[in-house]
Amino acid sequence: MESLITAAARALEAGDPLGALNRVALRNDAPSLALRGIAMAQLGDLAKAKSLLRSAARAFGPREAVARARCVVAEAEIALVSRDLSWPAKTLAAARATLEKHGDVVNAAHAGHIEARRLLLLGSLDQAGRTLAELASLPLPPASQVMRELVVAGIAIRQLRTKDARAALARAARAVRQADIPALAAEVESASLVLDAPAARLITRGEERPLLLEQVEDLATSEALVVDTFHHAVRRRGTIVPLGTRPVLFALVRILAQAWPADVSRQTLIAGAFHARHLDESHRARLRVEIGRLRTQLEPLADINATKQGFVLTPRKTRDVLVLARPVEEKHAAALALLSDGEPWSSSALALALGTSARTVQRALDELARSGKVQSFGHGRARRWMTPPVPGFPTGLLLPMPLLKA
Amino acid sequence: MKRSAAEIIREYGPFAGVDAVHGVTYDGSHVWFASGDKLNAVDPDSGKVARSIDVAAHAGTAFDGRHLFQIAEDRIQKIDAASGKVLSTIPAPGGGGDSGLAWAEGSLWVGQYRERKIHQVDPESGKVLRTIESKRFVTGVTWVDGELWHGTWENEESDVRRIDPETGKVLEQLDLPAGTGVSGLESDGGDRFFCGGGANGNVRAIRRPRRS
Repeated sequence: MESLITAAARALEAGDPLGALNRVALRNDAPSLALRGIAMAQLGDLAKAKSLLRSAARAFGPREAVARARCVVAEAEIALVSRDLSWPAKTLAAARATLEKHGDVVNAAHAGHIEARRLLLLGSLDQAGRTLAELASLPLPPASQVMRELVVAGIAIRQLRTKDARAALARAARAVRQADIPALAAEVESASLVLDAPAARLITRGEERPLLLEQVEDLATSEALVVDTFHHAVRRRGTIVPLGTRPVLFALVRILAQAWPADVSRQTLIAGAFHARHLDESHRARLRVEIGRLRTQLEPLADINATKQGFVLTPRKTRDVLVLARPVEEKHAAALALLSDGEPWSSSALALALGTSARTVQRALDELARSGKVQSFGHGRARRWMTPPVPGFPTGLLLPMPLLKA
Repeated sequence: MKRSAAEIIREYGPFAGVDAVHGVTYDGSHVWFASGDKLNAVDPDSGKVARSIDVAAHAGTAFDGRHLFQIAEDRIQKIDAASGKVLSTIPAPGGGGDSGLAWAEGSLWVGQYRERKIHQVDPESGKVLRTIESKRFVTGVTWVDGELWHGTWENEESDVRRIDPETGKVLEQLDLPAGTGVSGLESDGGDRFFCGGGANGNVRAIRRPRRS
């Protein structure tokens, strides 16, 4: 490799991006562009980094397929960290195939991990798991191992497999000590915190208490009838009645479950489920219809009986009714949950991850911004949203350092 | 042109604290290699590092009988082999795009990597005396018995080739196994070449074909 490129790459590795830039700032050959791109990424200018890496990929000739593929991987990682989820996944897959073909196992695995992280973020847990499985059993350097275990833990946490998540995080912690990269260690630590912070609230017989993820997991095997506000479903063990597409029915069952074993007045049900302030006959008629529908849906799990003043939930085969709710319940909780990862999100990425329209997300963000719960920076398409008070960009970036080594 | 697979005689390394080899030379008893911030002398029999000099060492290395020449950033340093002191520096002809370095017949020969060129340079002034064009990215450069050899590295493929110093035409080519880089090249004056293994951090000895 060339002299100045070697010097600049060594400066980057030593954590001196400015020293690296000093050496190649005025050069526009392919390796210099790539180095400048990585230095800019480390300095936090992700937009500039992205355009430099893209130019570098173009500047590497057709005979430098590997170097070009590494640039694509680095660009994909920047896209992921800046939550640009619309970045073409196919390009990354092609780069990964090129690296595999040329025996660059480490960077190919890095590309696979980025793919899996993107799928995880989009909620495609099974696909993320499959992508990881394809990469299994490769001997990887510590930093790559950490990244892999973080994805494994992320999948496990979202699938409520706490033991697996803890095991993965323990492996990540071991590997991170070898890798000796402070930013990476911080990421493992914050992932571990998730397991020790309340993941949900349990509401039963008019009382509330916080639940850790492990305790939420235990609910899956408990005898109780669970009204799950995370998945908008009612379940007992393996029997699940999904009500995600029936928000009114879910609202009714939730109100009934929170009051259980007491009954709930018609007025309370109407106010809570229909958002109506005044009662009239048409509301009463509608309530009768909706309760009838809910009764049909809940058939395998519970009955709903009329009482003097309203209705009461009567679970079958169990004497316990629980409501599982988010730790802090507020409007736009799902959007806030995503934003609370501290990364800057575009509204379109949020819409993609939430599975809603860009307009809906935009309205939610505007509302949250007015109450100071989120902040935005940038303009137009480059506009990003994050939850305060995160200072600057946390480093989620592990750009492939062997990028420039011949 | 004669083309054959390179015969690897021996591998040295990996060496502790060395993550890449950037240049290689031979002083008659030791193989010297550049590892970023050090020049290391390896005993070719034991394979052990006998001595190191703390000096910036980012690309090609050469030896003129008394001095080591070492490329660092965009300069060529002249180093007293005995004391390890940098005696003087001249600008490198590629302005930092330089890779291989050789000493022969009173001149320094400097590979300019991406430009696919080899420059003959006055070791006192740094003046470029002439330039030879190659077909591939140039890594190491060496002269032996009037033959000019250089290493190449492009898209995960490397070879060591002898070129006509007048025309740049390839006369002979030794292919290294796929994925094996050549960074730095030096002849021992006999039938061995020493090649830097790039990011593998090792040095290989390969056989120089016999003339019949």
